[in-house]
Amino acid sequence: MNVRSIRFRLGAWYAGLLALLLILFGVFVYVTLERVLERNLQETLTKEAQTIGDALLSKIRQTGDAYVIDEIEEHFAPRTNSHFLRVTREDGSVLYQSGHPHDESFDPAAVAASRAGDPVAWHEENAPGTGKLFVYSMTYTDSIGTRYAIQAGASNKPIRTVLNQLLVSLAVALPLIIGVAIGGGILLMRNALKPLRDISDAAAKITSRNLNERLPKVHTGDDIEQLTASLNRMMSRLEESFQHVQRFSADVAHEVRTPLAILQAELEALLDRPELNTESRNAVSSALEEAGRLSLIAEQLLEMTRLEAGEMLSTASRIDLADVTRGTVDQMRLLSDDKQIRMTYEGEEEVPVLGDPIRLRQIVVNLIDNAIKYTRPGGTISVSSGTAHGNGFLEISDSGVGIPQEAIPHVFERFYRVDGARSRQLGGTGLGLAIVKSICAAFGGTVTVQSVPGTGTTFRVELPLESNAPANSGFTQKYPS
Amino acid sequence: MRLLLVEDEEKLARLIKRALASERFSVDVAHTGREGLELANNYDYDLLILDLQLPELSGGEILRRVRRVNSNVPVLIVTARDAIAEKVMQFEAGADDYLTKPFVMAELLVRVKSLLRRGTGRRENVLRVSNLELDRLTQQVRRGGRIIDLTAKEYSLLEYLMANSDRALSRSMILDHVWDQGFRGATNIVDVYVRHLRSKIGDEDQKLIRTMRGVGYSIREET
Repeated sequence: MNVRSIRFRLGAWYAGLLALLLILFGVFVYVTLERVLERNLQETLTKEAQTIGDALLSKIRQTGDAYVIDEIEEHFAPRTNSHFLRVTREDGSVLYQSGHPHDESFDPAAVAASRAGDPVAWHEENAPGTGKLFVYSMTYTDSIGTRYAIQAGASNKPIRTVLNQLLVSLAVALPLIIGVAIGGGILLMRNALKPLRDISDAAAKITSRNLNERLPKVHTGDDIEQLTASLNRMMSRLEESFQHVQRFSADVAHEVRTPLAILQAELEALLDRPELNTESRNAVSSALEEAGRLSLIAEQLLEMTRLEAGEMLSTASRIDLADVTRGTVDQMRLLSDDKQIRMTYEGEEEVPVLGDPIRLRQIVVNLIDNAIKYTRPGGTISVSSGTAHGNGFLEISDSGVGIPQEAIPHVFERFYRVDGARSRQLGGTGLGLAIVKSICAAFGGTVTVQSVPGTGTTFRVELPLESNAPANSGFTQKYPS
Repeated sequence: MRLLLVEDEEKLARLIKRALASERFSVDVAHTGREGLELANNYDYDLLILDLQLPELSGGEILRRVRRVNSNVPVLIVTARDAIAEKVMQFEAGADDYLTKPFVMAELLVRVKSLLRRGTGRRENVLRVSNLELDRLTQQVRRGGRIIDLTAKEYSLLEYLMANSDRALSRSMILDHVWDQGFRGATNIVDVYVRHLRSKIGDEDQKLIRTMRGVGYSIREET
């Protein structure tokens, strides 16, 4: 679980807050209940003591001691109720004292006696075992002035039992509630975050190729609507600057090409002049060749710009890489034969990839041309194509001079030459491998190289099989207007 | 044949005009879009050559306005813009062909002639240059009566050269016609094939295929 995710942090805060609130609530309930129960007990005891005075002791002269004792026993049943009752005469002799309670929560004899004339008082005593004994003491004075001390007491054991039960209930219920709340919270959050995920999914689908698309508008009037609008505004700005770059490269192309066209045409016209001597003719021809090379470089650079802008993908269709490779090898065999290099081809019957026939051909041509250039007469070039791991592949191995280890990371860079002077002599623009890489990337593939200096080099191109290629049917080419 | 060329680069316009004139075309030149549209509306040209980036009125706009009243005149677009989208847009607007700068003048001439229905070079079934003979129906090549065995590519190359005999063909023109654009990276494929073709047709003693240095090749009778 990702502890930094918004879902986890929100959930943790939410659960923590809930637990704190529930605990506070539990403490409040516990304390309140304890106070209510104790007050009730005290009221009961007060009433009992007052009743003994008002109802029984007031008539003790007519009824006699025994009647009063009987009445107390019968009326209050202190033993059954686990209550303590004691009536003491003015002289300190005990008129009545309740017996051992049935739950043995206290020892009646051990309870401190009060004397007649003492003011009304509450005191607590430690009962044997656990718990406390609440004792209410008062003085009753009858009509002729005889005073009795009355004590009523009760153990807090029943209160404790109730409170303990409450604690147990809380201890069971609290985690349960928190657990349910966290579960519900996760579900809730998943739903709440769903619009965000939708936005993210939609945004992920937008690349340089379909920058004109926008996220679907929502009208929720909240943060989500704002986020969608902000993202859409950002994409508009991106699209604008992207178009700016494309316009810029088109303008540059125009500015370079027009002078090149003039240069080329002027030189051609010059070459047609009959009065030109051989020396001048050669010079003009040489200049024309260089102008041609410059044109080729400009053209290839522009083509790479367009490949990187993703324009080519609009023409992508199902192409048999094996067929393209086989055909190209056949057509280039004359070149390898010419240099006494043995070129072989083997491959699967059909390797359907997503591409454009001209661009795929360009890959094969550039790599084979490269291999022929750097392989000495008598060497071999083996070309193969097939399918592996859901990709179509094309491999071109030569027994050529190889590439030094330190140069390998740079071979696909524009204008990079392993051995400047030598390779320029062999012709080419220094863009061949860079173009291969751009084409591969444009169709969602890769190109890699392995080389042992002096032994040979292997280039491997991998392109997604047509069935595995990312769907691009939704993509429509946008024409500048 | 009267042609209209609308091109704001005066140097380039002059060069194109000269090349077309040498092929006996009469060429009117306009340097701005407005001027070009006026000429196109007032005269009955056989072909229009339009640059796209023009002052006052773009070539694309001229094309659209001309097409409203005249759907027949062939239009060749000559431009430095070569995005596929741009090409598609001009073709949709009614352009007949599209040539990207920089170009070899020979290519412009070939395209102009092809648009004027003089066809892509020669149309006969049997092409002849000196004692070299190519029969398009039987695909047989003879030199001085001797049958020459050629591979399919060698045959296509020879046919293209012979169909455009006496004309300089650039390497990229040959590549685009005989192979396809995908082969542009193969530095010397045209040269190697031409060399093989030369040896097969016995060109050592009696040269027919000429190297036009810096341009490409041309086949013509020895002078």
